[in-house]
Amino acid sequence: MARVAIDPITRIEGHLRVEIEVDSGVVKDAWVSGGLYRGMETVLQGRAPADAFYIAQRICGVCPISHGHASTMGSEAALGIKIPNNARIVRNIIEGAEFLHSHVLWFYTLTALDYVDVVSALSANIADTYALAEKAGTTTADFGAIQKRLAGFVKGGQLSIFTNGYWGHPAMKLPAELNLIAVAHYLEALQIQAQAAEIIAIMGGKFPHFMTSIPGGTSWVASEQRLADVLFRWQGVSDFITNTMIPDTLAIAPFYLEAAGYGKGVGNFLAWGVFDDVSMDPKKRVMPRGALTGLTPFDPKPEEVTEFIKHSWYDSGDNLNPAKGETKADFTTYDLNGKYSWVKAPRLNGKPMEVGPLARMLVAYVDGVAPVKALVDGALGALSKAAGKKLPPTVLVSLLGRVAARNLEAKVIADAMGGWIGEMVAAVKGGDSKYFVEATQSDGQGAGLWEAPRGALGHWVNVSGGKIANYQVVTPSTWDCSPRDDAGVRGPMEEALVGTPIADPTKPLEALRIVHSFDP
Amino acid sequence: MAQEVRGEFYDLLAARGVTRRDFMKFCGSVAAVIGLSEVYAPQIASAIAAGTLQPALWLAHGLCTGCTESMAQIGVPDVPTIVLDLLSVNYWETVMAAAGTQAEDNITATVDKGGYIVIVEGSVMTGQGGNVLRIAGKPGVDELKEVCSKAKAVIAVGSCAVDGGWVAGDPNPAKATGVQAYLAQNGIKTPVVNLPTCPVNPEWVVSVLVDYLLVGALPPLNEFNEPKSLYSETIHDNCPRRGHFENGEFVQFGSADQTAQEAAGFCLYQMGCKGPQTKTTCPLVRWNRRVSWCVESGSPCIGCGTADPLKGGPGNWVDAGTPFLSRLADTRLPGIGGVQPSTIGAVVGGVAAAGLVVHGVVSASKGRIKGVPQESEKKFDSKNKSSEGGDK
Repeated sequence: MARVAIDPITRIEGHLRVEIEVDSGVVKDAWVSGGLYRGMETVLQGRAPADAFYIAQRICGVCPISHGHASTMGSEAALGIKIPNNARIVRNIIEGAEFLHSHVLWFYTLTALDYVDVVSALSANIADTYALAEKAGTTTADFGAIQKRLAGFVKGGQLSIFTNGYWGHPAMKLPAELNLIAVAHYLEALQIQAQAAEIIAIMGGKFPHFMTSIPGGTSWVASEQRLADVLFRWQGVSDFITNTMIPDTLAIAPFYLEAAGYGKGVGNFLAWGVFDDVSMDPKKRVMPRGALTGLTPFDPKPEEVTEFIKHSWYDSGDNLNPAKGETKADFTTYDLNGKYSWVKAPRLNGKPMEVGPLARMLVAYVDGVAPVKALVDGALGALSKAAGKKLPPTVLVSLLGRVAARNLEAKVIADAMGGWIGEMVAAVKGGDSKYFVEATQSDGQGAGLWEAPRGALGHWVNVSGGKIANYQVVTPSTWDCSPRDDAGVRGPMEEALVGTPIADPTKPLEALRIVHSFDP
Repeated sequence: MAQEVRGEFYDLLAARGVTRRDFMKFCGSVAAVIGLSEVYAPQIASAIAAGTLQPALWLAHGLCTGCTESMAQIGVPDVPTIVLDLLSVNYWETVMAAAGTQAEDNITATVDKGGYIVIVEGSVMTGQGGNVLRIAGKPGVDELKEVCSKAKAVIAVGSCAVDGGWVAGDPNPAKATGVQAYLAQNGIKTPVVNLPTCPVNPEWVVSVLVDYLLVGALPPLNEFNEPKSLYSETIHDNCPRRGHFENGEFVQFGSADQTAQEAAGFCLYQMGCKGPQTKTTCPLVRWNRRVSWCVESGSPCIGCGTADPLKGGPGNWVDAGTPFLSRLADTRLPGIGGVQPSTIGAVVGGVAAAGLVVHGVVSASKGRIKGVPQESEKKFDSKNKSSEGGDK
């Protein structure tokens, strides 16, 4: 029996500690501890709803668009504002660009180093690398020059961000040539994620942290030139996802098929839904609202969300709905039997819920959303072929499925984005010049229930006399990285860690894979 | 100290599709940003491309990771150049391969060896005995003190690291502060350079790094420890919409003409633009590989580059600038005097009147939320005296 603490967890947004108990090479128990409290909900009190849009998005520098939108939607719900159709389209495009940016960044920059051995790429045969890329149907690069560059870098002895990585770890399974392909695409992905972010800069001023989706609509106005600037960037990112990211995923997955056997988590899924169509009905969003127990769907009711704090460093009401939520920090000590995290424990009707691309894709799959069904069935077919047996959709409830779901979702969103840009072009040509409406009331309560790339996101906003009286946020990482609840039930990431094989407890690479699969 | 540029460096750039010409162009722009002539481009190229890599530690404190994200949005040099050819970034939580013990070992090894610089992202978190931020089982401030005290220089990137940023917004529930103030309070004398805005603009970070590699010292700083070359002129001074300001052409939010006004690029002053009192080079350097910036997208500047590193100035940018979509400072808190809403409203409405002397607007106050600083006469205006209207 070995107790292993991984602190800091790197390649994430924010500060996280994971403690695992390893017995006979398998994780027997796990604790996830959020290390940072900043107090956003308190800072927002007494400020104007429009200020909340600008400030609240700064909760997360990787998903500020989603927080900005959830904040604005919460204020709009509280003040009874119905936004113009143009604002809906503009927000969809900006949000979509953030999702593409985030999914590309996550796969290549944040999690790839858990599966790709950079040092092994040095021993790749260049001709074989081109042959493998062609066979995998993925894009090529100047593999020889990249390998030469890597060799020079390693020879220099200063490994910079690669210092002390898990090179040569027994859980690294890729052949040298595939490692080299992945390193080439790791470098290319840095350009692609920036290209996606440029769409946000054009329509929102900059990224991270954007400026235009204020309550009431948007302060951005479309023009043909600006839409052309958006269109060609979307095309480049979309091509990369279709021709590089998806083939890379399908090329790497067969070497890690055992990852379909663990990392299952709590098996309950929640999606508030994201990307409105013209009806503004959350169930008709491109990624629709819904919840699952196993693969059985049910309607998630926002009033059934509560947050527990028995194991979190707060001294405020327990088991409260966020509409009446409180946040009073109170650090005691780090105690796994008592309080051990700055993250609260949100539950839906008392149950822990996994959120994120896997939740959204499963909800959409069960709902019969056509493009999702086609992509998921296609991927299951490819994996079944690699495994030599037919794999059912339930196999997606695993580490492998969580990784694949995010990359497949990128393709769904990239395709949908083409449609939104078309809608915007039609609106400009049709002469629709309405982008913003003013609020007519200054009191009310509402919630912006939306999705960040990493999962279901809610901003509960209570406005009184034009100022925020109470503000509560339940982020995706609050759901996924939650500590135990008052009944002692583990959070989704804690549960997913249990059962993970660990080859070397001093280098717990496999546990990192589970953590990163949630994109915390 | 110009050294010869390694030939292989260009091979490496070429492998990423960056030509020698692109690279020299970048070096020329860095020269301009740090206040040198473009003829210094070759020296800058050699500082980047030659010799041993400067060891650096990028520390993550009370952050949203937006400043790291922002670094990933740079054009030339791209991120691989920065982390592989310019610096040896031995610790950078968001992008480094190692985790846990292996990651912490990288800090220890670098600190033991010495000669490193530190980049801090995020607020210094002092609340709850420093436990509002825990890293490796300890308060984050422990790491900050240890690592900064032995560093050659500290670069505070983004408004949070500079003065606590929004995290220090009233009532500052986690007791956030900035790096310069915190190190001073703890008797740590390592020089600190401040690079506010939320997030930091990556080109400013690179220009400071290159400047440091070139001359081995931090650039000339102003009273807020910001590089003078980057934080001397207001956004208003260089704003492409400035002509509309002079003409009294403003976007009026919620009006029937709003869309047409915005499409024509009218001035956002009436929407609360903080450009007149915010000193950064945003209109020149722009954002996201220079494709756009806040004002170009139709939003007023919200003054995220306002800095108050040693407190006693305008306050952090959130308290200084809210409500953002108004020219009036927040009056929700007691102890604020001197706000004259009606006067200001009239002034803004009657632009042709000689009114915009007040365009810094609200007078300073003694409350918890400080008024925005009054502007002094700007260079543009002193050179362009006119007898009627406009900005004087």
